[in-house]
Amino acid sequence: MWAYIVRRVVATIPVMAIVALFVFSLLYLAPGDPAAVIAGDQATPEDVERIRASLGLDRPFLVRFGEWAFRIVQGDLGVSIFTNLPVVTMIKQRVEPTLSLMVVTLCLALSIAIPMGVIAAWKQGTTIDRIVMGVAVLGFSVPVFVVGYLLAYTFALELDWLPVQGYTPLSEGIPYWLENLILPAVALGGVYIALIARITRASMLEVLSQDYVRTARAKGAGQTSILFVHALKNAAVPIVTVVGIGFAGLIGGAVVTESVFAIPGLGRLTVDAILRRDYPVIQGVVLLFSFVYVIVNLAIDILYTVFDPRIRY
Amino acid sequence: MSATALPPGFDPAQIPPGLAIAQPMPDVLPPVKPRKGFIGFVRRHPTMAIGGFLLLLMLCIAIFAPYLFTKDPTALAPALRTREPSARWWFGTDMLGRDVYSRVLYGARVSLLVGFSVAILASVIGLFIGIVAGFNRVVDSIVMRVMDGLMSIPSILLAIALMALTRGSVQNVIIAITIADVPRVSRLVRGVVLSLREQPYVEAAVAAGTRTPVIMFKHILPNTLAPLTVQATYVCAAAMITEAILSFIGAGTPPIIPSWGNIMAEGRALWQVKPYIVFFPAIFLSITVLAVNLLGDGLRDAIDPRLAKRL
Amino acid sequence: MTEPLLSVENLQTHFRTPDGVNRAVDGITFHVNAGETVAIVGESGCGKSVTSMSILRLIPEPPGKIAGAIKFEGRDLLKLSDKEMRKIRGNSISMIFQEPMTSLNPVLTVGRQIGETLRLHQGMSASDAEKKAIEMLELVGIPEPGRRVKEYPHQLSGGMRQRVMIAIALACNPKLLIADEPTTALDVTIQAQILDLMRDLKRRVGAAIVLITHDLGVVAEVAERVIVMYAGRKVEEAPVGKLFANPRHPYTRGLLGSVPKLGSSLTGHEERLAEIPGLVPSLKKKIDGCVFAGRCAEATDLCRAVAPALETKGPEHVAACHYALKEAAAA
Repeated sequence: MWAYIVRRVVATIPVMAIVALFVFSLLYLAPGDPAAVIAGDQATPEDVERIRASLGLDRPFLVRFGEWAFRIVQGDLGVSIFTNLPVVTMIKQRVEPTLSLMVVTLCLALSIAIPMGVIAAWKQGTTIDRIVMGVAVLGFSVPVFVVGYLLAYTFALELDWLPVQGYTPLSEGIPYWLENLILPAVALGGVYIALIARITRASMLEVLSQDYVRTARAKGAGQTSILFVHALKNAAVPIVTVVGIGFAGLIGGAVVTESVFAIPGLGRLTVDAILRRDYPVIQGVVLLFSFVYVIVNLAIDILYTVFDPRIRY
Repeated sequence: MSATALPPGFDPAQIPPGLAIAQPMPDVLPPVKPRKGFIGFVRRHPTMAIGGFLLLLMLCIAIFAPYLFTKDPTALAPALRTREPSARWWFGTDMLGRDVYSRVLYGARVSLLVGFSVAILASVIGLFIGIVAGFNRVVDSIVMRVMDGLMSIPSILLAIALMALTRGSVQNVIIAITIADVPRVSRLVRGVVLSLREQPYVEAAVAAGTRTPVIMFKHILPNTLAPLTVQATYVCAAAMITEAILSFIGAGTPPIIPSWGNIMAEGRALWQVKPYIVFFPAIFLSITVLAVNLLGDGLRDAIDPRLAKRL
Repeated sequence: MTEPLLSVENLQTHFRTPDGVNRAVDGITFHVNAGETVAIVGESGCGKSVTSMSILRLIPEPPGKIAGAIKFEGRDLLKLSDKEMRKIRGNSISMIFQEPMTSLNPVLTVGRQIGETLRLHQGMSASDAEKKAIEMLELVGIPEPGRRVKEYPHQLSGGMRQRVMIAIALACNPKLLIADEPTTALDVTIQAQILDLMRDLKRRVGAAIVLITHDLGVVAEVAERVIVMYAGRKVEEAPVGKLFANPRHPYTRGLLGSVPKLGSSLTGHEERLAEIPGLVPSLKKKIDGCVFAGRCAEATDLCRAVAPALETKGPEHVAACHYALKEAAAA
């Protein structure tokens, strides 16, 4: 099993290298002079020169990539063109709200989606199943900002139950922190819930038709035991796989959710950086998110061994 | 053995007396009537029928937008700004006095154009990469490593990063979303190709010395089309959402062109007081995406229920 | 005569499908006495597995529906609540399935799967259940039971898995054991071992066995009484010796004719292996007349028009054929 884990960890290294190369070369894939692209339409020739020098565009591509990658490994993501602050500092300032949003969304999504999927599979073909699946298709189809505005309008503006926008740090107490995160988490979690509920149902249906479930029934096991002891553990591998894959959508959705709910997190930082064409910041954030995504999926690969004793290679 | 004494054209009245006749067993379940024709199709594939109908409706709206009582969607009327929905402005006016109804109807064009273009482009490119990778080990190891890397960048983030570099235009939006979606499609196609290559009939063709291009086009390609079509509908739905997100955060379709994301972006500042500016495009976007997703689910179930696992 | 342990009366199990109702089992009646071994034989798709699953009510409803009566120790199983039914499953009636490869849960240890029955029905603690599981593994002849009990099914061979299945089935000393093709998926040598084991355990435990199989060799070795099923119906029933010596129904004769006889080519008689022409009829349409008429070489217009009832053709011997009696009289 340790060999398996080491192999999974080693396998992520080339993936991260390719991500880094791609993020670095993004700037040069675009048509035209990268310095001019970054400087924008209103830039003076001096601005363009300054940016050109700061990017070191006069040296060969691979040399620049090597230097850049070396700095990244040391934890230096460069300096923002707009604020002149180190990108790492800017990211650190913005991590807490995004991390909070992600964690709350993840907990919410898993605790809603998995029971939803299990019940739908158990009651396959009934009205309950159809309702759950209908809700899931809706969750897929209604974009995160649409849900966000709808929730904010209903529960914050009209009913005045929860704050409309903003973020309260965790240090000011969990209730205040949570209060601000509920609506964004529901909005962001919609697609994720739909995704996990669907795969849970599909995976459970597959497992429930297996011979060993029939054996369990023939032994006199009850419905709860069949669903949660015999079936769910067997259905777990596809579910956690989708939880990992869906994490990408969660990251993308966070960018939008933070805009809708005015949460000062990494998503807002990304949007602001795009509008200002602050390229080092964009690179830093994309790299960070990709790294998190790779790590999450690595963790899930390792988690497989917990669910399935057959995975030991 | 020659007991066939009874004449052909058997008359039930001639049953010999005393013959033990089994009583017919009762029906336990009510009989099932298989339905045919249009009604039967709708009954068997309700999701596909509903999705197809809604999508057709949106297509009609997009094509016939100029004839559906619309005004010029870009005509400014600062004196008439932020009017509530009424008989004159069905969906009200935005902060520049433009008619939201007209803008929303024209907005369908951008969404559908982006959705369909990305779906077709990503499918064609993904199909090509996937098939080549599925057949050539060297290409496979290189291309799939790159695809793994690309897939590690959340696709919306990748599209955002690409759009940040280029001038906003519908064409660039399509290219950016396509680039973000190609890895997923090629992975799917490659997976299908690899599993098909294990099939006895393909192995037989290889053993018989059939040339690789012939195997690709005759045996592999037709079998990838079904899962690819289903995947394309999901790509289409996701692309429409991504376009709206890009436009919404100001990195997508240029503000001149009315797209649902743009209309919402413009309504964003006023959403607490004039929520209708955001909600009308939101409803249209949601319905369109729902239509495509329903169509995709219906197609998946109709083509192969087992596909549900692979997608 | 005392009341039988199990008596199945007019059992019907139908399934709802998009293109019609599948009448998988359509009116079958039989009984099993305590301690007796009854075999149900027939081709695949004749409803023998559905019959066995119906006894334990393992048919999902919907799309299935079970009708008739299944009396076990005087109680109609079809009238029991789900909770009462669960107390019977794995306890007084247990079941062994065809596929030992897939019938064990891959993510639970063997010990846990054997212990589960004991914990469910005898309220044993986890540690007692494990001790008993080790005993059971030993009983079914698995070496090193103390180690095997902590292993997962993928670490065992096919024969060992079937032994584990038997251990699960026998853990609570059932009165009736339903074995659905218990040896089909196994190698021939392992088949013999498993059959020996079942016979041996039957002697010790004293359970009645319903053996579902298409293998007439297995029937000849193990069963006391045989029920032949065709297209969801019972077409013949007789003690095993009588059935093999004097089959009355043309279908039974066909089945016996399609078994290769050992050494038949050595004796010089180049006998062709008899086969039954045609296919099992679709069970989604109502069949007028005899269900076997479409494939029967001796079928007449009478057969095609009127369904034969089961008639006594000899002591303890019934068959559903208009002409069986005549032939017997002629013979």
